[in-house]
Amino acid sequence: MSSYGDVVACAPITVPYVRRSEHDANWWLAAALAALLRASGLGKQAIDGLVMASFTLAPDGPAPFTQYVGLSPRLLDFLPTGGASGPMALRRAARAVQCGDAEVVACIAGDTLQPGGFRDLVAGFSSFSRDCVWPYGAGGPNQSFAMLTEHAMRRTGATREDFGKLCIAQRSNATRNPDALLRAPLAMSDYLGARPIASPLHLYDCVMPCAGAEGFLVMHRARAETLGLRAARILGTIERHNGYPDDPVQWRGGWAVDRDTLWQAAGIGPGDVDCVQTYDDYPVIVMMQFEDLGFCAKDGGPDFIRCHDFTIAGNFPHNTGGGQLSAGQAGAAGGFLGVVEALRQVTGTAGERQVARVWHALASGFGMINYDRGLCTSAVVLGA
Amino acid sequence: MTRAAAMRRMDAAAGRGLLALQRCADCGRVQYPPREVCAACLGDALEWEEAASAEADLLAETTLHHSHDPAFAEALPLRVGLARLAAGAVAITFLDADCTPGCRARVSARLDAAGRAILHASPTR
Repeated sequence: MSSYGDVVACAPITVPYVRRSEHDANWWLAAALAALLRASGLGKQAIDGLVMASFTLAPDGPAPFTQYVGLSPRLLDFLPTGGASGPMALRRAARAVQCGDAEVVACIAGDTLQPGGFRDLVAGFSSFSRDCVWPYGAGGPNQSFAMLTEHAMRRTGATREDFGKLCIAQRSNATRNPDALLRAPLAMSDYLGARPIASPLHLYDCVMPCAGAEGFLVMHRARAETLGLRAARILGTIERHNGYPDDPVQWRGGWAVDRDTLWQAAGIGPGDVDCVQTYDDYPVIVMMQFEDLGFCAKDGGPDFIRCHDFTIAGNFPHNTGGGQLSAGQAGAAGGFLGVVEALRQVTGTAGERQVARVWHALASGFGMINYDRGLCTSAVVLGA
Repeated sequence: MTRAAAMRRMDAAAGRGLLALQRCADCGRVQYPPREVCAACLGDALEWEEAASAEADLLAETTLHHSHDPAFAEALPLRVGLARLAAGAVAITFLDADCTPGCRARVSARLDAAGRAILHASPTR
């Protein structure tokens, strides 16, 4: 029995991404809300809880958004945790519904991307980042992840071909996702021959910033059944912030602190999961999640990659919609992408990219490069 | 230019060619980036130690071929790394060409064109 009782997640929606948008973030979040209402048949007044994530809402925020869209929720939460926000939103919404603080919680994340917007976001991301990272070449996340990747390659023996295999499999999966911005098949020669960005990272190791939104609903199972919605059980959730603060270089993430808690709560092990959606801003972080969530031993990532097929029909279906590396990184919506895709897979609503027989799915998140490492980790295990 | 208050103390020292590092008067921890409290004991009695340079081990590196700031365009490619200071903190620094991971380095500070304290690592001979 899940610790969340009969609370379920349902109605996974994506507001199709675009490379650049003239709309503001309110528009993208409102579009996600509207898509949730269409998917569920609910009226606006039925939404009495709202959990949101966004980077580009300023000067607005969650309270201004309620007035912007005419919503009167009795529970409002805002998660400034970027890539970790999806599992965290689900976690908060589920406990709120279980305990009676809300009946139907809309979880939405979205961001716009206007010309210069990504540069401005990175330049002022945090005080440490602004003062002690940006002046060193203004490489942004590419620069931070390049150093983590360089270190991981020396530590584990991972090669560019290993990371390329992950990127190519995701691109293959994206060919079945009409919402992915990058759908042209990728060959290993394309991957290896791409222009360098920040060594050892080349073009196809780096997510493409874009605008977009993602969302899902959390409610009691009986309500979902009344609405005719296919729903997923919430078997376990974890989050950790600033895990392993004394590691000189980030070679592991907070998932490793909490993974035993996750699998114990879920009542299953990593081998029982039928599809996995990791946070893939850069492939080294995918490998870190495989290790730290227990899919393979620490430093066993390269062997694990070499022994598995990560396509939809493969023996380890992974980032089945193409992940951010192919769909695009729509700001904080990138933190929801994995949960939304896991919900599709576990409710059998993934269409052309449905993995056969999904009983359990995992989605994990990673966010907030504040200085030299990502601070926020999260994960959720869902059941059919 | 917005800059954290604690950073401005580093900037002032770098203007005199010195590297200033924060040390907690209560627990002795050295921390970087500088801030207004000690991340170990939460005390706010932070002292500044100034020196020409600090010993460090280079942990990781990258060569930047792309920058989000046009001001860096002409300087590319730029080498940047993570250096663990002997005193305990990890610093992002520019790297000399012959400074590679595993190398013992000396980290010093200077001002960049915008008046910001910038760290630089060169190999220890």
